[in-house]
Amino acid sequence: MAEQLHLLLLLAWHFALLSLFAVGGGVSMLVPQMHQEFVLQYHWVNERSFAELLAVSQATPGPNFLLVPLIGFRVASWPGAAVSIVAFLVFPVLITFVVGRLLHQHENAWIARFRRGFRPVTGGLWIASGLVVAATIDHSLVPIALTIGVAIISLAIDISPIWWCVAAGLIGAALA
Amino acid sequence: MLIEPISSGFTVGVTRADCITSGAYGANVNDSPKPSLLDLALGWMTIGLTSVGGAGGPLRHVIVKQRRWLSEGELAELFGIAQALPGATAANIAVMMSDRFAGPLGSLAALAGLIIPSLLIAIALAGIATQLAAVNVRFAAGEIAVTAAVAGIFISNGIRLIAQLWKETPDLRVAWRCARLAISALGVVLVAAFHVFIPFVMVILITLSMIVETRLHSVERAA
Repeated sequence: MAEQLHLLLLLAWHFALLSLFAVGGGVSMLVPQMHQEFVLQYHWVNERSFAELLAVSQATPGPNFLLVPLIGFRVASWPGAAVSIVAFLVFPVLITFVVGRLLHQHENAWIARFRRGFRPVTGGLWIASGLVVAATIDHSLVPIALTIGVAIISLAIDISPIWWCVAAGLIGAALA
Repeated sequence: MLIEPISSGFTVGVTRADCITSGAYGANVNDSPKPSLLDLALGWMTIGLTSVGGAGGPLRHVIVKQRRWLSEGELAELFGIAQALPGATAANIAVMMSDRFAGPLGSLAALAGLIIPSLLIAIALAGIATQLAAVNVRFAAGEIAVTAAVAGIFISNGIRLIAQLWKETPDLRVAWRCARLAISALGVVLVAAFHVFIPFVMVILITLSMIVETRLHSVERAA
């Protein structure tokens, strides 16, 4: 009981902290950080589970940040899912709520410039996330070829990413 | 770029937001009733359930086209603010938009609609996926392949954003564009090769980037 509570508090602490850095590009930028903390440091989920939950969070209906409660669920079942999503949302929601009320429709130069400045950072961290995820899964030929293939082809053909997930899944299953 | 001029004129296709003047943003709109808590929850549930691999498309479809809660320009503005603040972009937009229509309870209703139904489905699907992967080799391989594709999508999203930054100001001196590129490259190297603590990387990079953008701003103004 005390152990379970301790685990839930730890989950809450980590996701609350993480949420404050989900700026500019959403949860995908933080995937390497989650991997570092939850897989390598705490061993709450293994590599296989982490990859699976990432795939589920991206390829099923729902916003991408569902990765957070999915990890919480895997670590500590329903209480884990609830604690994770609440901890992840509470500070950003409060901040956004207050800022949303303070800002009016007038153009806000500070926000515009901050957003502009964030774009090169987001771009770099997205690429880093992709590389870290690619490194965590199987180092066999098919996944590596699929990562490179999707990265290149999806640059040329701009369709919903779900189709790349479907196509890759079918190819992966067929070649197994 | 952030804000499009709000169109005036109460035409057939006018949205709720078009009727709000800049001084009274979020004030009562008298042409149609404000969305109720249930409307907000259902609208955001639709957004959640139709978001597969990114909420941008469904957000625009439901908020601007289907329910006409905001104009295109207003959604773009909220999008900008949501991205500049901590947290998930879709959740932040839900909070700000719904507060303007129905107060704090509206924000909570929207968040519940956005998250709870799709989370229940995702938890169920994750459970099924684990069981299938344990007994079926092909399914397990397919799952890894999807994760590989997700990695590819992250990489191409990053490349696309960086390419857009490079192309967006063709008259800009190459040195400035290279400065932006260097910031992105530094991020890739620090995180992917050296596994530096990401919050730390972000603080350093955003500081560098703001210095570059501020200098750029003064250069543009001087030109």
